[in-house]
Amino acid sequence: MTVPDTMEGAYILSVIDFFLSFVIIWGMSLVLYLFPYLNKLGYLDDRKLRGGH
Amino acid sequence: MFEQIVSFVVSLAEQTGLAQLWWGNIFMIIVGAVLVYLALYRKYEPFLLLGIGFSCIVANVPGSDLTQPGGLFYYAYKGVELVIIPPLIFLGVGAMTDFGPMIANPSLMILGAAAHLGIFIALIGAKALGFTLAEAGAIGIIGGADGPMAIFVTMKLAPHLLPQIAVAAYSYMALMPLIQPPIMKLLTSPAERQIVMVQGRSVSRLEKICFPFVMAILVNLLLPPVAPLITMLMLGNMLREVLLVDRLASTAANDLMNVITITLTVAVGSTMEADKFLNIKTLQIIILGLIAFIGGTASGVIGAKIMNWVSGGKVNPLIGSAGIASVPIAARVSHVVGLEENPYNFLIMHAMGPNLAGVFGTAISGGIMLALIGVK
Repeated sequence: MTVPDTMEGAYILSVIDFFLSFVIIWGMSLVLYLFPYLNKLGYLDDRKLRGGH
Repeated sequence: MFEQIVSFVVSLAEQTGLAQLWWGNIFMIIVGAVLVYLALYRKYEPFLLLGIGFSCIVANVPGSDLTQPGGLFYYAYKGVELVIIPPLIFLGVGAMTDFGPMIANPSLMILGAAAHLGIFIALIGAKALGFTLAEAGAIGIIGGADGPMAIFVTMKLAPHLLPQIAVAAYSYMALMPLIQPPIMKLLTSPAERQIVMVQGRSVSRLEKICFPFVMAILVNLLLPPVAPLITMLMLGNMLREVLLVDRLASTAANDLMNVITITLTVAVGSTMEADKFLNIKTLQIIILGLIAFIGGTASGVIGAKIMNWVSGGKVNPLIGSAGIASVPIAARVSHVVGLEENPYNFLIMHAMGPNLAGVFGTAISGGIMLALIGVK
């Protein structure tokens, strides 16, 4: 189903898109809030990575 | 014999560009010269404006055929038209970008959505002016202030409007140091502009390496229409952050990016031919694009003001305008406007968070738009 090519369609598209953008960005930020927990898996040394090839 | 000589001279004159020159060419040559002036003397994004301005001037000198098959400008434009250049730019941008500021302060990511109201103001405005919904969507995405994404979405929704939209997007991105500050100052008080933000936490290598993988998976899952761009952005970033393949990361961030920048600016500028460009639709798109940038800047600042109020005065509202994307131009504008108020307030890293989130915000808006309008 697609949005109708009318003025009303433009309003509907804008409202849905703007609202969903907030929801998805908020969801991404929630994922990023979990990133510090990755550090419990271990530590990567920059020098060792650079010298790895 | 004299008559023959005269007829040869007349015939030669008719083959020069002078015979085909009209006021539209002269007007567009002046436009190109203004872009070069802004780059050279005002230092407004010379990497973009010099190429655009130069090729705009040359494209409007009749007779050169640079924009016809066989001319190099024509093939440069094909790279844009076939959507080869936008993903390559994203690869380079990913390899150049440290997403640390965004990972360190995820709460500021929401500004990447707040600063995109301009997209929808322009979309509704374009529809009201009689554009189709697909055309209006492509015009609206100018407000995402993300050149490659604007090109990508336009090629899906309204390829015939690519010259106008690409020119508007890149010109306004380059002119952000002129467009944004008055709006930012209008919507904030001197006290707000002086707010010093707390430095974010340091982000580990493991987090930075995991980031491109997680984001690529999320975007491919949630927003398949824009996955080609974001996937390349994340590929470039992965090459940068693993540290193991520094030659690849360096090539993507420097040599490849430079070649693509030259190609892109030449392609965009060469579309500014007077006969195609000087019409009422172009004027409408240029004005709507400006409205989109102004609307996005304003909504970003207002969003940051709300965050500042909610957080008890911890967020400088100037960083909100950076959520419009256009990395790192918009973040630099936030930083410079902040410095004018307080020379010891360095907002650049704080503004980079919303600025990088703005790239995702534009991709999300574009992806949803493509899905709702029914384009695959």
